Amino acid sequence: MTKNEYLSAEHRQFVKKIKLRKLAVTGTQIGVLCVFMLLWEVLAATNVIDPFLMSCPSRVWATLCDLYYDGQLFHHVWISLYETVLGFLIGTVAGTLIAVLMWWSKWIREVFEPYVVVLNSLPKIALGPLIIVWAGTGQKAIVTMAVLISVIVTIITMLGGFLQTSPEKILLMRTMNANKAQIFLKLVFPSNMTTLASCLKINVGMAWIGSIMGEYLSSKAGLGYLIVYGGQVFKMDLVMTCTIVLCVLAGGMYFLVSLLEKFLVRWQN
Amino acid sequence: MTNILALQDVSMTYYTKTSQTQAIKNLSLEVKKGEFMSILGPSGCGKTTLLSLISGTLKPTEGKITLNGKEIDGTTTEIGYMLQRDHLFEWRTIYKNITLGLEIQHKLTGENLDHCERLIEKYGLKDFVKHYPNQLSGGMRQRVALIRTLALNPDVLLLDEPFSALDFQTRLQVCDDVHAIIKSEGKTAVLVTHDISEAISMSDRIAILTSRPATLKRIHETNLQNVKTPLLRREAPTFAKQFETLWKEVKNDEK
Ligand SMILES: Nc1ncnc2c1ncn2[C@@H]1O[C@H](COP(=O)(O)OP(=O)(O)O)[C@@H](O)[C@H]1O
Ligand SMILES: [Mg+2]
Repeated sequence: MTKNEYLSAEHRQFVKKIKLRKLAVTGTQIGVLCVFMLLWEVLAATNVIDPFLMSCPSRVWATLCDLYYDGQLFHHVWISLYETVLGFLIGTVAGTLIAVLMWWSKWIREVFEPYVVVLNSLPKIALGPLIIVWAGTGQKAIVTMAVLISVIVTIITMLGGFLQTSPEKILLMRTMNANKAQIFLKLVFPSNMTTLASCLKINVGMAWIGSIMGEYLSSKAGLGYLIVYGGQVFKMDLVMTCTIVLCVLAGGMYFLVSLLEKFLVRWQN
Repeated sequence: MTNILALQDVSMTYYTKTSQTQAIKNLSLEVKKGEFMSILGPSGCGKTTLLSLISGTLKPTEGKITLNGKEIDGTTTEIGYMLQRDHLFEWRTIYKNITLGLEIQHKLTGENLDHCERLIEKYGLKDFVKHYPNQLSGGMRQRVALIRTLALNPDVLLLDEPFSALDFQTRLQVCDDVHAIIKSEGKTAVLVTHDISEAISMSDRIAILTSRPATLKRIHETNLQNVKTPLLRREAPTFAKQFETLWKEVKNDEK
């Protein structure tokens, strides 16, 4: 437990080196982005690439401003975000609960394992038409898609983690007279916080795939809708703008989940 | 001294789909109240199985095990179990690890917590209660594991090669540590080991087991009760002789 003020000169040098390196990496990352944008802009301005097909940063910016002043931007962002977050939450919670059930009962696990495996390999988009028939063409169908995509991965990841709990730690709990619920709540679940964190990270991606795919199939609004619409009427600026907004949103959500991860495994220092 | 623990003609056979393994065969053994008994046998002979039977996590296929005259049926708080590794829960503070057993048994009463406080203070863990296990050394972690077991105030402590995961230096020191704590708390202890010097230095009596299926070969008295610590016992005049005797017996059997 050394605090900063007790660091030796060599140690301080070492820490400084690490910090400098981190700064250099971040700086280069920003640099790469700037160079890319600049190159894109210049190539489009000099007509080396066709700005009508490839768009360019200034056109993206203009489109973004238009969307914003129309009040359209946040309308579509909210709709997609709502579908994604809802799908993410339902998929994660339901998947974890099913994993708990399958951990709890060996019988249920053995019976349902092949179904989970098959469902996992099935490309969920194939279920699109069925979902639309069952859940209607509204947001329900889109959320269902996001849930379907994230729930199976969640089951597999969480169950895998639960089953890997050290048998000796379980034995220890048993020698202390713990019942199954206590073994789960005080050992199996808390020892899988890292599994839960990586599952949440995977699910951010899965939920976005689900909601955007759902919007491709059937929607009246949302970023996926705008992208499809833009493609159909050949407004590549719109397609590009929405894709970039999507990147920012997905990145932001991933960042929030990383913060949550830090909290979940705070004992690791 | 009265017997606190008695095994009568205990046998244990494991069944798997393709085979059956007899781990223990007709084993009878008595442990006296307050004594430190070691169970010495080659690895794989059935020592862990024996402790699982005593702790009530396994049921013997034959025979009977009694604690304070009552037959053991399932786990009981009168028996504390210390495993090969400390198995501290990394996400709990040291304090929360120590009180885990009380929490499980809904016994977080003032009296029991006072008992924990006393153990924590007496055995030098006070400065670490808010730490997480990964901030402690191997020896210190093992001490926490022992205090966690003692927090439930068991009559008998079972120790399954609790030092085997430690390096040699730490091991000698932790042996002393654990021995001192167990003696000062006046507990009955059953230590399982395949390490002959560990068995001689820690215990009053040693039950020597044959290789699998484990049967009782002989009970050896160390007669070292008047030498205080395991470390000093290793230097006792009779230590080398005892080691040689036991070594021959265990070695003969491994063939
Ligand atoms: N759950 C089990 N199922 C089948 N065989 C087992 C099981 N546990 C232990 N055994 C077998 O019983 C024997 C004794 O094991 P164990 O008690 O762990 O020995 P020790 O602790 O002395 O090394 C070994 O041959 C081991 O393979
Ligand atoms: Mg063993």
